[in-house]
Amino acid sequence: MDFEWEKEYRDFRGEVRSFIEEWRTPELLEEYARTYGADGPELRRFRDALGERGWMRMCWPEEEGGEGRNLFYQFIFVEEMEYWGMPYGNLTYTSIAPSIQRFGSDEQRRRYLPGILRGESTFALGYSEPNAGTDLASLRTRARRIGDEWVINGQKIWTSLADVATHIWLAARTDPDVPKHQGISVFIVPADAPGLTIRPLHAMYGGHTNETFYDDVRVPHADLVGGVGRGWPIIMHALNHERVGLAATGSLARLFDQLVAHLAERRPERLEDPLVRRRLADLQLDLLEQRALAVQNAWIISKGGTPIAEASMAKVAATELRTRIANTGMDLLGRYGGLSRENGELAPAEGRMEWSFRIAPIFRFGGGTNEIMRDIIAAAGLGLPR
Amino acid sequence: MNLDLDPTQTLLRETTREYLASTVPFDRVRACEREERWDSELWRGLIEQGWLGLPFPESIGGGGGRLTDAGLLLEEFARRAAVVPLAEALVCGLACTRSGSPSQASAALEGLLSGDVVPVPAVLEESDTWGVVEARVEGEQLIGEKLFVDYGQFASHHLVAARENDELGLYRVDARDDAVGSAPLRTIGRTPSARVVYRDAAVEPVGGPEALRDLILTARAFAAVQCLGSAQEALDQTVAYAKVREQFGRPIGTFQAVQHHAANMASRVASTRYLVYEALHALDHGAATPQQVAFAKASASRMVPEVTMLAHQIHGGNGMIEENDLYFFTLRGKDRSLAWGSAEECLEEASAAVDAPREWIC
Ligand SMILES: Cc1cc2nc3c(=O)[nH]c(=O)nc-3n(C[C@H](O)[C@H](O)[C@H](O)COP(=O)(O)OP(=O)(O)OC[C@H]3O[C@@H](n4cnc5c(N)ncnc54)[C@H](O)[C@@H]3O)c2cc1C
Repeated sequence: MDFEWEKEYRDFRGEVRSFIEEWRTPELLEEYARTYGADGPELRRFRDALGERGWMRMCWPEEEGGEGRNLFYQFIFVEEMEYWGMPYGNLTYTSIAPSIQRFGSDEQRRRYLPGILRGESTFALGYSEPNAGTDLASLRTRARRIGDEWVINGQKIWTSLADVATHIWLAARTDPDVPKHQGISVFIVPADAPGLTIRPLHAMYGGHTNETFYDDVRVPHADLVGGVGRGWPIIMHALNHERVGLAATGSLARLFDQLVAHLAERRPERLEDPLVRRRLADLQLDLLEQRALAVQNAWIISKGGTPIAEASMAKVAATELRTRIANTGMDLLGRYGGLSRENGELAPAEGRMEWSFRIAPIFRFGGGTNEIMRDIIAAAGLGLPR
Repeated sequence: MNLDLDPTQTLLRETTREYLASTVPFDRVRACEREERWDSELWRGLIEQGWLGLPFPESIGGGGGRLTDAGLLLEEFARRAAVVPLAEALVCGLACTRSGSPSQASAALEGLLSGDVVPVPAVLEESDTWGVVEARVEGEQLIGEKLFVDYGQFASHHLVAARENDELGLYRVDARDDAVGSAPLRTIGRTPSARVVYRDAAVEPVGGPEALRDLILTARAFAAVQCLGSAQEALDQTVAYAKVREQFGRPIGTFQAVQHHAANMASRVASTRYLVYEALHALDHGAATPQQVAFAKASASRMVPEVTMLAHQIHGGNGMIEENDLYFFTLRGKDRSLAWGSAEECLEEASAAVDAPREWIC
């Protein structure tokens, strides 16, 4: 065994970090916060720079335009970007691009990948429906083929970013007469398609997501991805990629560091309190334990394996730890802990603990609920009978 | 021993619940949040109902009830996420009527019950530490700054913790005085709170260090019962939801994982409920120690975010949006869990006496 990162990884981490140092401007962060990372001149400049580095697809095979690098590079990249809160690409980069690469037609790759990699195309994920959440495969949004087109009718919910995205990555039922997992197909739908209505749903963390209604929305057959009725494995592939992001330690570590930095600067007497230090050590141990899972997960991927139980463990640990850091952080900040960022200077660490507390529940049931993750650990990981 | 409510208390709880359900639709709470105001209309309603007088002695014109009764009332108000300073006004009223002569006490209560006087306490300062009070009274005038004065910008009077010649005390200030300036704070609970500056504000002394200690103790117990109300409502809404929300062709409440979450929520609420009402009961009988109240609040404070987090887990996406009512209890619960002593602060206070001999089974 050897727990040291090899020189090439350490060098790469250094390279990413100095890139971030150069690009992490207040203007970029402000635009990111304001537009939820959808689009804007600062974001575009940043993504151009990212694209130039080739980091978004450094781990793709060479014959597919990548550099065939070990997936540890991707792990390091995501960790750093998450830690510094950089708009390195929402799910469009991390989950849709690899899916188009893997399952799309040549034409789809040519049409969509360059735009995604340049940051010009962004995709919203149109999976969930009012009655199809955990049981996603029971989705009912219907696509019927008429000539060379598909006509889509139905309702989706939680289509985040649909109002600012250029496209929707839509899961719809193309065949109601086969077992439910086999009748689903994936479509690329322009977000401004006639017949598509988007209604915002305001959430308790201050942002919003959307309901989307499809009323005879027409999509050419050329925009169906991966074959009729072949949608389910595509969705699962994309979800696996989503989980890697959810399991990353970066943003959790950052939250912890912001808490400590605030205490050091503004409440040094609290930071000296042995009880407070003990609580912080507790959180630090939680972080070490979570990262242990994340690194083991990445190790399996880097060897070419597909972690199943391990990915679920890292996801559960990360998402539950987010709650714990935010909750304990607020407690350690006393009543200041409940001040949101609108209070300006008075809000500790820009209100990050308070905001994280409000948004934390999402991660625990999003991207595969933690209940299902635990089922997977038990069944796939431990071989417990169903 | 009797762990059941008596018939009057049951009636009180039911009438309060029915009144609030019919007069305060949750959209009215949303409007208060949006417009950053309090529910002055509901305040008039509760004056008319006579609820404000409940925990005061009949001899001075009160309802002759106890803090436990006030607790039942506060729990119901918390379950409706009502935006009124009921706890705040009650602790001030209790402080004012307990000190001074009987005639002063009945005058104070009369003001409260007329609805003209809406008093709130102002204790914490920049340091956010209970013992640290820098506001000073000199020649009957108050100079200082207070933080986290809940409903401070809408109150008629503040009961301010201040020092006079180094002695701590409580002072009444007319909040509409020009010498009092307040700026709103945005808290996670989305109920009004303020930062208040007093520049030579005229004061009336209310009580000494004992009165301040008493006020903090009562306010702490009340905040605990508010946490309990948030948690109970989150639990009830969640159980109801788990019965009707279906996935995989059956109610999610049939899945063992969901059942276990709900069972954990219910157990947490049940423990806290006992400790909180036990503490209120002890306060009623002059038998409460600071440690007991601190433990009750610590229990409520750490329980409520656990319970609301599980409520969200069972609600999934639907629990996150403001069209659903769950968020009130998540946000209020956390706000009250920090108010008048977080779990950390309360445990620290309670820890002072962990080695004192204690009869566990008596
Ligand atoms: C802010 C926000 C943004 C989102 N963004 C997107 C998006 O962009 N695109 C998208 O498609 N979706 C999105 N989602 C939806 C998200 O993926 C779903 O919320 C998630 O899949 C859970 O589904 P549900 O909310 O319907 O919960 P439900 O499926 O109703 O689950 C409720 C509870 O029941 C439990 N449960 C269900 N079935 C079982 C079982 N068999 N065994 C044990 N427990 C079970 C769950 O674990 C959970 O605890 C978003 C959600 C939110 C809140």
